[in-house]
Amino acid sequence: MPDLVRMTAIGKRYGGVRACHEVDFVLGAGEVHALLGENGAGKSTLMKILSGDVTEYDGSIAINGVPVRFGGPTDAQAAGIAMIHQELDLVPGLSVADNIFLGRELRTAVRTVDRRRMEREARELLDRSGVSLDPRRPVGDLRVGEQQLVTIAKAISLDARVLIMDEPTSALTSSEVERLFDVIRELRQSGVGIVYISHRMEEISRVADRATVLRNGSIVTSFDPRELSTAEVVEAMVGRPVQTMFTTPDSATGDELLRVENLRLKARRPRPGRRDPDGISLTVRAGEIVGLAGLLGAGRTELLETLYGVAPGGTHTGRILLQGKPIRPRGPRQALAHGIGFVPEDRRTSGLVLFHSILANTVVSSLPAYGRLGVIARRRERAASVRMADRLRLKFGRLQDEVGTLSGGNQQKVVFGRMLLTEPKLLLLDEPTRGVDVGAKAEIYRLLGELAAQGLGVLLASSELPELVGVCDRVVVLRDGRDVASFSTAESGEGDLLAAAMGQIEVGGMP
Amino acid sequence: MTDVQDRTVAPGRDGPVEQRSLAATLFRFQSVFGLIAVFVAAIIFSPRKNGEILFVSADNLANVVRAVSEIGIIAVGMTFVILIGGIDLSVGAVLGLAAVGSAVLMVENDWGFLPSVVLVLAIGLVFGALQGAATAMIGIQSFIVTLAGLQIARGLARIWSGGQGVAIAYGDGPKEAPASFALLGERTFGGLVPIPVLIFAVVAIAAVVFLRVSAFSRHLYAVGGNEKAARLSGVPVVRVKIAVFAICGLLASLAGIVHAVQLNQGSPNDGIGYELDAIAAVVIGGTSLAGGRGSVAGTVAGALLLGVLNNILALNNIDSNIQLLIKGLVIVAAAALQRLRPAS
Repeated sequence: MPDLVRMTAIGKRYGGVRACHEVDFVLGAGEVHALLGENGAGKSTLMKILSGDVTEYDGSIAINGVPVRFGGPTDAQAAGIAMIHQELDLVPGLSVADNIFLGRELRTAVRTVDRRRMEREARELLDRSGVSLDPRRPVGDLRVGEQQLVTIAKAISLDARVLIMDEPTSALTSSEVERLFDVIRELRQSGVGIVYISHRMEEISRVADRATVLRNGSIVTSFDPRELSTAEVVEAMVGRPVQTMFTTPDSATGDELLRVENLRLKARRPRPGRRDPDGISLTVRAGEIVGLAGLLGAGRTELLETLYGVAPGGTHTGRILLQGKPIRPRGPRQALAHGIGFVPEDRRTSGLVLFHSILANTVVSSLPAYGRLGVIARRRERAASVRMADRLRLKFGRLQDEVGTLSGGNQQKVVFGRMLLTEPKLLLLDEPTRGVDVGAKAEIYRLLGELAAQGLGVLLASSELPELVGVCDRVVVLRDGRDVASFSTAESGEGDLLAAAMGQIEVGGMP
Repeated sequence: MTDVQDRTVAPGRDGPVEQRSLAATLFRFQSVFGLIAVFVAAIIFSPRKNGEILFVSADNLANVVRAVSEIGIIAVGMTFVILIGGIDLSVGAVLGLAAVGSAVLMVENDWGFLPSVVLVLAIGLVFGALQGAATAMIGIQSFIVTLAGLQIARGLARIWSGGQGVAIAYGDGPKEAPASFALLGERTFGGLVPIPVLIFAVVAIAAVVFLRVSAFSRHLYAVGGNEKAARLSGVPVVRVKIAVFAICGLLASLAGIVHAVQLNQGSPNDGIGYELDAIAAVVIGGTSLAGGRGSVAGTVAGALLLGVLNNILALNNIDSNIQLLIKGLVIVAAAALQRLRPAS
């Protein structure tokens, strides 16, 4: 019997960057095939080719032995291929049921939309995925994780033979992940082939039958995920042995840089789902990396936004002191002028102009430095951009290339580079390694270590406990907009952080 | 590290890269190629008299650019606004207000040439800045703000002129405008280029240079490309928006002065519908209505293309309704071409 999917000698270039080169990929019916690799290794490109998103490529594809060439995603869907994108493609204003049946609404006898039947079937689909969600709720009101489950239910409802999941668990809770795995097992039983893209090694060893590692657009190795250790897999992805992912915390820190005292923000118009600071105290010393831990909705992002001056309007109480002087940033320009830089959580919507050049995106925060009287000295801005690209080990073709053509990790480096060019004293980082592959993560950690050694203070919000424990000198735990504990990472582990974040122990506020 | 090798993957010497940039160039200058095509077509279809091609006669060409200069000046300002992802529907009305202002100040109030022009330009600048402030600070969409601005400017022009056109007579006596103002319309530069055309050329070149070298232009493109990212990067978004609408208002009032001097009158009905021609020129010029990409050079080519088209249709005595129809098709064709722009 022919293979469900056979991709042969697939090649694709973006500008000067080779995204895929002579890739052979086979997926059998009832197989869960994990695809691994750093960002920019070519996983997404390969799957975009399979799902019809990318139509110009070298090589050939056969489905059940029949050669195909898709003219677009619709062709691929007709051939039974469905993709769950990393960027959720849902319409926020429509209900869960409407989203699931978008474009193929169920009709009544008189051709009107059969809302009742859609809601019933949506509920069945969601139940099958083990999710208890009201199908009438607007998708925009759901948590990101819940939205992710809706896209999965939607993909399943297409009765696809091939299901491509791009980081399906990135925003799911552990119990939701378990239910997803049950669904995957069920689908596998019924002969569906699944491509599973993820950065999380432990998931892959649990759910996948086979794993393939891509590096720089080519296949490096293919193996049974139960037989290789995580270290071996990471080595295959990165192309060199990885001793430690994390830099050793440098305990030699300098003077107090930032001091937050009992910071409270009472929003003029409170927004649902926002947890504004409600009495937070903490300090960051020069050369110190301080982590911000906490569950979803604990107020980590909101604290960083308040410090950067971009929180919604309202009244502040408490004090923010930078190098001993009280400040009250009213916006990014003021914050940057004080020497506070910010790397936002979502680089695509808040970080970059994706269709502008790498150069323009890198220098936009530090333009006055390259010119006089409002005229830009092109050679100087170019030099600054090249210098930053080298320092961050950015992988790119030309500085004029659109930043959107870079991989996620490299896009993140551009946002970092932009902030570093403003020569900040304090960096506020919101989930700086989300959606970033192992290699780029290691480079970001290395960079943070370097910056701290140069006396920069870093406040790092992250949901990844190993990251917080590994990278930070100290971690402050937030819960419900308050700081509830502070740990030195030399003495405490992930368990302590989690316990504090979940409210099992209460340790008094920071001095 | 391997990255260094990766980065030097033959930058710019690569097959696909070269092809892409060729295609990109073609699309980037699509309006210039369109202009050339329309120009050639105009020569072919031009009526002839005694073997002379009427379209390329010096008089006719001067007429083409003269006719284009007002819309052209407005369209340059409109390009700035559209680059930040906005729209300015008030430009035609501001032109009318400025034309009325010029006429009333000089004829009825006996103001001198310079103070009148300065005041009129200042009115346009402030009017634009207020619209910019309303959209940037209150957060009303520019479409709505300038739709209101259109009504307000038109109303002000009616009030100021008493609801009627004010004819401009020249001379030194009372109720006469200074002769120096007339020179603006009559004089030619080097015996060839009419002053309005010269003003348009200076505005266009200044705008091209400004967008190329200024730090402000980087901010402008960033605001149009992704306003949230621009704000978080420390771009003064509010200031950029106010400045851009102010520039647009200033240029609309400059076009109003040019209009008054060309027609020797200022009427509150001047410039009705000009905003749509200006937007058409910008769109044909390849500037994206979504903001963040486009150029003034394209807009100039777009405005000239529309001017040549109007002229050749008029020379051939084509019915004016048919002219509208053809103009509409050209706009759709230009927009369709942009959809074919190589995906990135």
